[in-house]
Amino acid sequence: MFVLSIQDPQNAGPAPQPQVDAYGQLSKLASTFHDVDGLFYFTYAVCIFFFVLILGVLLFSVVKYRRKTEDQPAASNVTHNTPLEVVWTVIPLIIVMVMFAWGYKGADQMVDVPKEAARNAYKAMAKQWSWTFTYPDGSVSYGDVWVEKDKPVQFYLQSSDVLHAFYVPSMRVKRDVIPGRMQTVWFQPTEEGIYHLFCAEYCGNDHSKMYARVHVVSSAEFKKRPWDDFDDSTPELAAKSGESLYSRNCAVCHSVDGTPLVGPSWKGLFVKGEGDTIVGAKRTVIEGGATKEITVDDAYVLESVRTPAQKLVATHPNGGMSSFGPELIDDRRVKAIVTYMKSLASK
Amino acid sequence: MTTNIPAIDQHAAPTGGSTNYLNNTSGFWSWASTLDHKRIGLMYLVGTTLAFLAGGLFALLVRVHLWEPDGMLFDNPTYNQVFTLHGAFMVFLFVIPAIPGSLGNMVLPLMLGAKDVALPRLNLLSFYLWLTGAVLATLAIILGGFDTGWTFYAPYSLYTQKAVVTIGLAVFVLGFSSIFTGLNFIVTVHKLRAPGLTWFRMPLFVWALYATSILQVLATPVLGITVLLVAFERLYQVGIFDPRLGGDPVLFEHFFWFYSHPAVYIMVLPAFGIISELVSVHSRKPLFGYKLIAFSSLAIAVISFLVWGHHMFTSGQSTFAMFAFSFLTFFVAIPTAIKEFSWVATIWKGSIALNAPMLYTLAFLIIFAIGGLTGVILGSLSVNIHMHDTYFVVAHFHYVMMGSIALAFFAGLHHWWPKMFGVMYDETIAKIACGIIFVGFNATFLPQFIMGSRGMPRRYATYVPDFQVFHQASTVGAVILGVGIALMVYCFVVSLFQGKKAMVNQWGGVTLDWLTPTPPPLENFHEAPVVTTEVYDYSTLDLSTTRTPIA
Ligand code: HEC
Ligand SMILES: [Cu+2]
Ligand SMILES: [Cu+2]
Repeated sequence: MFVLSIQDPQNAGPAPQPQVDAYGQLSKLASTFHDVDGLFYFTYAVCIFFFVLILGVLLFSVVKYRRKTEDQPAASNVTHNTPLEVVWTVIPLIIVMVMFAWGYKGADQMVDVPKEAARNAYKAMAKQWSWTFTYPDGSVSYGDVWVEKDKPVQFYLQSSDVLHAFYVPSMRVKRDVIPGRMQTVWFQPTEEGIYHLFCAEYCGNDHSKMYARVHVVSSAEFKKRPWDDFDDSTPELAAKSGESLYSRNCAVCHSVDGTPLVGPSWKGLFVKGEGDTIVGAKRTVIEGGATKEITVDDAYVLESVRTPAQKLVATHPNGGMSSFGPELIDDRRVKAIVTYMKSLASK
Repeated sequence: MTTNIPAIDQHAAPTGGSTNYLNNTSGFWSWASTLDHKRIGLMYLVGTTLAFLAGGLFALLVRVHLWEPDGMLFDNPTYNQVFTLHGAFMVFLFVIPAIPGSLGNMVLPLMLGAKDVALPRLNLLSFYLWLTGAVLATLAIILGGFDTGWTFYAPYSLYTQKAVVTIGLAVFVLGFSSIFTGLNFIVTVHKLRAPGLTWFRMPLFVWALYATSILQVLATPVLGITVLLVAFERLYQVGIFDPRLGGDPVLFEHFFWFYSHPAVYIMVLPAFGIISELVSVHSRKPLFGYKLIAFSSLAIAVISFLVWGHHMFTSGQSTFAMFAFSFLTFFVAIPTAIKEFSWVATIWKGSIALNAPMLYTLAFLIIFAIGGLTGVILGSLSVNIHMHDTYFVVAHFHYVMMGSIALAFFAGLHHWWPKMFGVMYDETIAKIACGIIFVGFNATFLPQFIMGSRGMPRRYATYVPDFQVFHQASTVGAVILGVGIALMVYCFVVSLFQGKKAMVNQWGGVTLDWLTPTPPPLENFHEAPVVTTEVYDYSTLDLSTTRTPIA
């Protein structure tokens, strides 16, 4: 399997197939940037032509005009030939100008982000040595990213430390990720599959392990949100999913060990009651200006998530939590968070 | 080109052929304080060769490590240091100074019919600055090494806890060594040409060194300032390149490549010069398109200042910048192509001697064709975006740096070795070594083109298994290459002790360097030469000198 340690493989799926195009030269093309391949093979053919020409003349000369006796003079002492020199200046010039124009056209297409791509904008956050992807709906995945086949997609690239580069060979895109700047790439994936995403700019110790996979899937598959590892089929799994939701969405403001952050710690939010029951703690809250006492329960947590300002914890009369609507965290997920909260309960 | 004065007896030194620059004085101090361009050239030769062997050792370690996808020898941070050492040693201590410092110093005044370079003391200072740079670079390894890559890209080079300031200082000092050599050569070419040696009678090696010198003087200061700024930034957090302090890492890239692209030509132009000489001498035929080659050196020197942005096509530069830099990059291809065609045309209908220097020259012509043509592939914008920072680029510039420049250097060494030491190496061994080097080189770097075009990024300590077979092929090639180079060095060293006496004019050259006694005396010419014939005119050659051993 994979030798690269993937930072946080959410869905450790199959490794990408070796990705080689039909001619065995380039990586397989899976985007609409065919100009790259067209120009590459054109240039390649021109190179082979000139190489064979040079090699041929050299070998021929070496065989034919080899010095056989020590005093053998040159067969010709010609020092220049203006028509020939003009020809070998002008012909290469014309050829390289074709390459130039063709290359520029292809690059321009890469720079010019179409509207459909801009409407399907992801964020790729690069830090030493991992990638974090944010989807247009705000959800997040690490180390793997899913995109829809045939749907143009744009990535905003940001770095939180040093230079990196976002490189997906099969999409023919590469863009440096520069701290302090917003960079962007776009492409339109045309073939389902799993593709390498490399960091192509040296970034320190584990540069070579800054690896991710791009999953191109059908829109039906995409709708299932395969990056979402949410599972609440058993209480244990639900608590685990809740924990991962917590660490991504809530941990910046809520600790679970009593440390005061922006919001109140979740330590002691639920406690162990008689036997093995788990009960909500008592809370003093301010609702509509009036102070009252409530017991923490599922409904209270849900309300705190959806409309945090409804009941403010008395210790935090100024609030400070923004609401999470069901498009970000739906009710089932909030329930999973509650399950996680309850799993923290102690005497 | 010959002279019309009898003092240049084509048959060796008139006054006691035994005293020459090697033995006219002796002792450590006579070398350490020498102002003789030939001795300084030899010291450069020893120094840069040692740097090359060190750099080569690092390269072998890199290749062996990459045998397995997980890496064989090092952890990632150590690997990063080793590849950085390889790059930094090869570029700053070997490829840039080697040809001008050793062969340039040795041959330039001879070719001009001069007693020495114009500023001999400055020449010695250049060497000592090189030595200081080498010591500082070694010190940087002892002080914890450096892992920035030879490119020192910010902001990583600002944050890493390694000896970046020390190596930066080394680069700064080496830069001055290079600038002084350039100044010296420019003045020498302008002031010390023998009577009758007009600009268009100058051998092309001189033209090439002249163009190189202009680049060295104009471009190197920018590198010096850039590494100083990196050092300041590290020491005092000024905020020039560090985005956290309001600096701009892309600015660093501009500065760096403003030097380092011309630096490519600082490295390659002298190699072109050597090849121009050798192609002519060993085909015994005037160079085809002499003026065009001379002018194309200058054209390359000028255009090379305007293409640095082609190293930054993926950095998010404006489409206008992409347009301009790509356009100009293709323009460099033309003078380069002209040179290659002219060399091939020179060989055509020549009298081709398949001796060791010529074999290296032929190897150069083949390898440089590949290096140059793959450069055209990289110049195309959209293809560049795919290839940038992959092994394709690595392979391309090794075809130029190692395959072309180092091979031209080896060719030149084999060519001027009998001139420098008055002895000949064993040509059979030399030819075998050349063959091994040629095979090993291509085996090392051809697979890198393939894996690069399939997306293998450079500077990777570990890699996805897709690429393993290419890495292994490349490693095998590197070992073969290493064996070839070891054999070549052995062949040279043995010749110093057991070599046969060289001929008075070993290869039948007609430029002034072949018309001094071998090895040359302290001030090169017993009597100042006067040039009356055109350059590379083999009708004046006294063929018996190629069969008469030196006295
Ligand atoms: C930007 C900081 C911030 C984030 C992020 C945040 N909260 Fe809060 N939260 C607060 C603050 C401040 C309070 C106290 C004021 C209030 O009750 O609104 C609070 C209160 C709460 C309470 C009531 C706590 C109690 O002790 O009674 C719950 C439950 C809660 N948040 C759940 C969540 C969940 C679940 C998430 C993640 C989906 C989350 N919060 C994310 C700042 C945050
Ligand atoms: Cu990286
Ligand atoms: Cu360049």
